[in-house]
Amino acid sequence: MSIIKIEDLTFSYNEDTEVLKNVNLEINKGEWVSILGHNGSGKSTLSKLIIGLLKASSGKITVDGELLNYDTVHSIRRKIGIVFQNPDNQFVGVTVEDDIAFGMENLGIERNEMISKIQEFSKKVNMIDYLNKAPHELSGGQKQRVAIAGILAMGTDIIIFDEATSMLDPKGRDSVLSFIKELKNQGITIITITHEMKEALYSDRIVILKEGKVIADGTAVDVLQDKKTLNSSNLELLLPLKLIYHMQEQNIENKEIEEILWQLSLIK
Amino acid sequence: MAIKFNQVTYRYESANNDFYDAISDISLSIEDKGEFITLIGETGSGKSTLVQHMNALIHPSEGEVLIYGIKVNKNTKKDKKEKLNPLRQKVGLVFQFPEYQLFEETVERDIIFGPKNFGMSEVQAKAIAKEVIVQVGLDESYLLRSPFNLSGGEKKRVSIAGILAMNPDILVLDEPTSGLDPKGRDDLLNLFLSIHEKLNKTVIIITHDMNIVYKYAKRVLVMNNSRLVFDGEPSVLFKKKNIEEWNLDLPDMLELQYNLENELGIKFSKNPNNIEDFLTEIKGAK
Ligand SMILES: Nc1ncnc2c1ncn2[C@@H]1O[C@H](COP(=O)(O)OP(=O)(O)OP(=O)(O)O)[C@@H](O)[C@H]1O
Ligand SMILES: Nc1ncnc2c1ncn2[C@@H]1O[C@H](COP(=O)(O)OP(=O)(O)OP(=O)(O)O)[C@@H](O)[C@H]1O
Ligand SMILES: [Mg+2]
Ligand SMILES: [Mg+2]
Repeated sequence: MSIIKIEDLTFSYNEDTEVLKNVNLEINKGEWVSILGHNGSGKSTLSKLIIGLLKASSGKITVDGELLNYDTVHSIRRKIGIVFQNPDNQFVGVTVEDDIAFGMENLGIERNEMISKIQEFSKKVNMIDYLNKAPHELSGGQKQRVAIAGILAMGTDIIIFDEATSMLDPKGRDSVLSFIKELKNQGITIITITHEMKEALYSDRIVILKEGKVIADGTAVDVLQDKKTLNSSNLELLLPLKLIYHMQEQNIENKEIEEILWQLSLIK
Repeated sequence: MAIKFNQVTYRYESANNDFYDAISDISLSIEDKGEFITLIGETGSGKSTLVQHMNALIHPSEGEVLIYGIKVNKNTKKDKKEKLNPLRQKVGLVFQFPEYQLFEETVERDIIFGPKNFGMSEVQAKAIAKEVIVQVGLDESYLLRSPFNLSGGEKKRVSIAGILAMNPDILVLDEPTSGLDPKGRDDLLNLFLSIHEKLNKTVIIITHDMNIVYKYAKRVLVMNNSRLVFDGEPSVLFKKKNIEEWNLDLPDMLELQYNLENELGIKFSKNPNNIEDFLTEIKGAK
């Protein structure tokens, strides 16, 4: 069953250029979809349209059965959490604690529950010792972790991560990926916007945007093998797959090694 | 020697009167020619704080930094503009968040701000803006746009263009590739590499991407818990057992090498630097 349905969506910030062009996309409940694409391809714009921060020039967006418009935007926003590309855009409070609470406050979550969630999620992202700090006193990666905690704490059915791990160290990135896997197991619908092919591999499905158009939409395994499309969108092949293609080009035949490389490229 | 840290500690005082040593007792030297350095380490370990000392943006709480012979310590007055300003041109710093660097009405004005500040004519600065915008993978039409109405990766590129326009002797880039698409990342790294090789300039890059460390760096600095815990060659670092403990991981090439060695029961003759090296080993394994 689709939880997000986008039909013929077109958007421009100003008259002369269309940033998104006739985008059609259906995301199923409980699915994890990666959105990839070159810088400026329209990924963040699309995510802002889905939560109603921007208004489409034409086309329709339906979320959980509700058509997005002026009357439904508030109800729809309660169902979707978004971690913005720049964590500073998420911070409104004086302290880290305020910022983790902010999303929950908007949902009207009861105070006691909020306090326990702040503890739970700040611990989860390893920021519990920083609750009294001001957001501008954090390092880049610490800001990202706080932004993630605030959105996870909201407990929405749909979560969008817009390059939410771009400034995390390798271990921090792995742990966020494992939270996302947990969420998926709980039936949460996930959209991750990323430039990391390794991260995209974890998702069920990959959508590629190029100059505002959807140019690929398929299972992660299929799209990650599509060398031509990846190249034309400023993306790249995973290293083991790249090696397989080079072996084939140079007629180096070795079925055993190819098989192993296949396995290695699909290890999550 | 261009930059020398002597036992530098930097202490933040928080709004709630806590003190925190973000870097502690750091000593290191950086040459103004011929170095390609990556600075890595876990989130919050002090990397951004460390590099902000390199052009005297912040001053040590203890110890001193020598930058092109100018001594900077806790007694150095922040308003010593005439003394410190030339350092900003010699050591160009790109911030982790491009938003901290972009403030003008147009991209062009942002890019020419630095060069003009250091005495270049407007006409000359504009000509340079046209060159650098293309170098970072955007076209000239971006010059007239507002830097605030750009995508994340486009902002990053513009902030890098601003430093390139200043033509500093040392380029210090705080996570220049985060938010760039893979091709943009490779193109810009190759640009930094060519600046390093052709003009013999020193480049210092903060990154969480071990592939960059492996592929480009001659020297790698690792920060952990406010301290410099490693200063040496990447090949030595990746042999160490502490990688995990420092929240790092292996570059893709090494991971694939070790996996293939395990699976095939072979030993590579050397660590691979590119796909061709893998192919050579694979041909040998037949
Ligand atoms: N506020 C704005 N006003 C005008 N144009 C904008 C604005 N924000 C973005 N754009 C333009 O819209 C296009 C799409 O931007 P968007 O931020 O959606 O890209 P993106 O795919 O998220 O890129 P990135 O990978 O760099 O984050 C870009 O060409 C950008 O220059
Ligand atoms: N203005 C400030 N006031 C108080 N503490 C600060 C301030 N800025 C940074 N810190 C603290 O100093 C430490 C080092 O921060 P820094 O930004 O140098 O880390 P970093 O290594 O660059 O991390 P990242 O990889 O996340 O960008 C962090 O623990 C951070 O919380
Ligand atoms: Mg974006
Ligand atoms: Mg930093």
